[in-house]
Amino acid sequence: MTRSLCLALIAGSVLAGSAGLASAQTGCTHNIGAVLSITGSMAAIGSAIGDAAALAVEHMNAAGGAAGCQINFILRDDQGAPNVGIDAAKTLVEIERVPVLLGAIQSGVSMPILTSVAVPAKVTQISCCSSAPAFTALAREGGTQGYWFRTLPTSLPQGVVMATLGREKGYGRTAIIHVNSDYGVSMARAFKEAFEALGGTVTAVVPYNQEQASYRAEVNAALQGEPDSLFLVAFPADGATALREWIAFGGPTRLLLSNALRADEFVRSVGAEYLADAAGIDNAQIAGPSVDALNAAWAARFGAAPNGPGLHTMYDAAAVALLAMEKAGAADGTAIRDAIREITGGAGTEVFPGPEGFARAKELIAAGQPVRYVGATGPIAFDANGDVTGPLLIWGVAADGSLTVGDYWSNERVAEAVAAVNPG
Amino acid sequence: MSGFASYLVFFLIVASIYGVMVLGLNLQWGYTGLFNAGVVGFYAIGAYGTAILAGPEREALVGGFGLPYPLALLGGMAATGVAALVVGLATLRLRAEYLAIATFGTAIGVQLVAVNFERLTGGVNGLIGLTRPGFAWFGTPGAYNLFFLGVMAVLVAAVFLALEAAVRSPWGRLLKAVREDETAARSLGKNIARLRLQAFVLGSIPIGLAGGLYVGFIGYVSPLDFLPILTFQVWAMLIVGGSGNNAGALLGAVGVWALWTMSGLAISRLVPVAWQSQAGAIQVLLIGLLIVVVLLVRPQGLLGERATVSREAE
Amino acid sequence: MLQALADGFLSGAIIALGAIGLTLTMGILRFANFAHAELITWGAYMALAVLALTGTFAGPWSPLSFGLPLVAAAAAGAAATVVLALAVDRLVYRPLRSRAAGHMTLVFASFGVSLVVRMLVLIAFGGAATYYSHSLQIAVRVAPGLRILPDQMFVLGLTLVLVLGLHLFLSRSRMGLAMRALAEDPELTAIHGIDPARVVGWTWAIGAALAAVAGVLYGLTIQLRPEIGFHLILPLFAAAILGGVGNVWGAVVGGFVVGLAESLSVLFIPPGYKPAVPFLILIAVLALRPTGLFAGTSSAGGHR
Repeated sequence: MTRSLCLALIAGSVLAGSAGLASAQTGCTHNIGAVLSITGSMAAIGSAIGDAAALAVEHMNAAGGAAGCQINFILRDDQGAPNVGIDAAKTLVEIERVPVLLGAIQSGVSMPILTSVAVPAKVTQISCCSSAPAFTALAREGGTQGYWFRTLPTSLPQGVVMATLGREKGYGRTAIIHVNSDYGVSMARAFKEAFEALGGTVTAVVPYNQEQASYRAEVNAALQGEPDSLFLVAFPADGATALREWIAFGGPTRLLLSNALRADEFVRSVGAEYLADAAGIDNAQIAGPSVDALNAAWAARFGAAPNGPGLHTMYDAAAVALLAMEKAGAADGTAIRDAIREITGGAGTEVFPGPEGFARAKELIAAGQPVRYVGATGPIAFDANGDVTGPLLIWGVAADGSLTVGDYWSNERVAEAVAAVNPG
Repeated sequence: MSGFASYLVFFLIVASIYGVMVLGLNLQWGYTGLFNAGVVGFYAIGAYGTAILAGPEREALVGGFGLPYPLALLGGMAATGVAALVVGLATLRLRAEYLAIATFGTAIGVQLVAVNFERLTGGVNGLIGLTRPGFAWFGTPGAYNLFFLGVMAVLVAAVFLALEAAVRSPWGRLLKAVREDETAARSLGKNIARLRLQAFVLGSIPIGLAGGLYVGFIGYVSPLDFLPILTFQVWAMLIVGGSGNNAGALLGAVGVWALWTMSGLAISRLVPVAWQSQAGAIQVLLIGLLIVVVLLVRPQGLLGERATVSREAE
Repeated sequence: MLQALADGFLSGAIIALGAIGLTLTMGILRFANFAHAELITWGAYMALAVLALTGTFAGPWSPLSFGLPLVAAAAAGAAATVVLALAVDRLVYRPLRSRAAGHMTLVFASFGVSLVVRMLVLIAFGGAATYYSHSLQIAVRVAPGLRILPDQMFVLGLTLVLVLGLHLFLSRSRMGLAMRALAEDPELTAIHGIDPARVVGWTWAIGAALAAVAGVLYGLTIQLRPEIGFHLILPLFAAAILGGVGNVWGAVVGGFVVGLAESLSVLFIPPGYKPAVPFLILIAVLALRPTGLFAGTSSAGGHR
């Protein structure tokens, strides 16, 4: 009902020739929904990711809302379980009437939501965190009908860059310990192929299952073959446990760390003194107004730096959804799907995160000018399968335990590295 | 279809899938007194069995036989039955709680195979792109869901009637006699271990069927679908509805699943995000409490065993 | 290989401590208690809570990573775990027993109890992994290819001391003898001159205290998380059944066998399948020798 009211309001204001002022109308809301793991195995990272989406909505509302209305953000818990996740998504779509679903975190939850809820209902789904290659495969087969987007780069470039970095640092024999999930498996595979193509040896590839009490057996297996370094693909809690056992049992502290480990919790659990030689990867622009804008806004809102997996990508997922809704001028899944292509990539005027950035974007859109969203993870461009390619950064850990930002890998540099190991 | 109606159809499909599962469990526990602590494992065998048989052929995968869905469904049920036979044979001649421990282990073993045996199960990525049976005949997803609900209604009725017939037969009365008074039944010269094995295997088949139906409806399967919590949820459905009462089992499936999803909705609306993780854990805690309290206060379940069945057993 | 052996003994010690209580309850109270493993989690977290209240982790006894505060916290945790076990018995199992409910009803109830205890821990302490101390103890290289944490030697030593103490109790004291008689002979329903309710109380107390110690040792050498108990359910059952239900020494040997088998299995199978090892042992024992390794106790298998 609220939606039809909105449409009436919009229609009215268009007739009055004041479409640009529609956002000044109050009293109408558009819902957007997110399905994330607030409980369950991803709970440790889930609620902060929810905060990131809520922050983007807050910013958009401060800038006057989207498509003529204020935005109401509804977060549903999937409990880390697909059956709960699809039910939550179905309620969001059918009862709350959301045109956009954000999430989920795990690919095993995002995938059934996509196939059984989002695509049939023509609702656009944007995930911050699901990295399985299966989505690309499904998109190629036409199974997503273009309704699927994700704001985190696929694992391949990250694995390749880490392998390149390891070889540059002179690591010759690396062991891989990776979480046995779509994320870990694909990242480990990309790293191994690149590392070996660059002349290195991968001494062991050891998967571990999440939430095990101990990873001693896995660590022992990885220590066989006397590696000189370790590539760890993990989430903060399990990653800390595994790494503590690795260090305690004499593993080298020359470490390469995956993006999900860029979290204060991980550093605290392991101890900064063991992480002096660690280099991690993440997708983000090293500096520049778009990143500063988010970091400042986050610090102002939550009193800490946004260090945790999925925060930047989730903010961008929500921002892209909202700007596309503004561009489409309606809370409609298909229109938003198509508008996403118009506000990312391309040659429009750059717009940044934060209330001012969104206000600027709204002005430009109202004036009929093209815009290009440069987000918390840098300039965003989706390919035909809904995957992004983005710049990467290398992070480290300072002696006081704070996370530092090191080398910057631009899109071009990443592409070069990928081409160097994979001439195909 | 309005949004609410469309959601209701969706909800009922999922609830009736659980209903089929609870009916199977009811034969095991309600009528025979066998405690299956690994329901989710047998559900997963049915689901993966169906998905592997019906799925499209893929590189790097053993499965993908592309069988028609009904055949694949039968295959999944057969696989579940065979697994139950193996577990039952190993334990049912021993102390009854060994079956509980072994089924608990089965669920963990199945989960490990699902996660680790990538060539068969797709590993953590799961199996994608499974065709939803008959999807092409329908113009809209809403119409398809209505069709699927119709199919579910027929299947639930079929399973219900078959189980009712079974428990009212002399064989079913014997089951209850064994549950009530093992010594007396044994003195009648009945082979109790074999009787229990039959009931256990027969009860596992609907559980496997439910797994296959879930796969058909969702079009995707991954290890995440089979978390241990599901076992507790299904048990709560049975015990709320009343073990030993097939209609109650169905009612319990719908009721508990409705409570579960609605409390999720209520939490998302009423509880601040910072407290939601606690609220979610409390939701799970309540499932455990529910089981304990019902066992203490109303062991026959909320609806209780129907008098007709008891009378026949006498 | 050497390392895997050493690790196997370590996890075996923890499984053994947990399995003692399980085998006693299975023998004396005659039901498979799915919630027993949660006592391990509970004890570990109660000790953590006491440590948090008393504050410090001060004064480590070098080369060990801990000192008196942890020992005191462990004792307090054990006491809190005994209280929990007795309370659950009073509230849940005793009413069921007195109603003469089928013993499968008790098994089912324990299944529910396990979920409740796990969720209570999760709500109170959160789901993330935590540690008694964030300082990291580095393993000492004792032989080529073998590194051992000093704390691990402590775990092994304490396990031996506790098992010997329990042995003395069970073989010398009147209560202990009564417990053993009840545990090993299911036909026996009461011992002359001993109140059965007191035997039940002692069974819970001993099982819970040992489980709590196992939990603290677990947290000390590995980590704390709410799923500790859940992951130990199968290893504990495998150890208890392998050793013969009701047989304390059997449970200890069973614990070490299961721990070693898990640890050594990684040399032959992918580590991902390791949690299935206790299940395979269990099925093998049930198929080949359902009375367990140390037959002579009649309560384990066979037709009743």
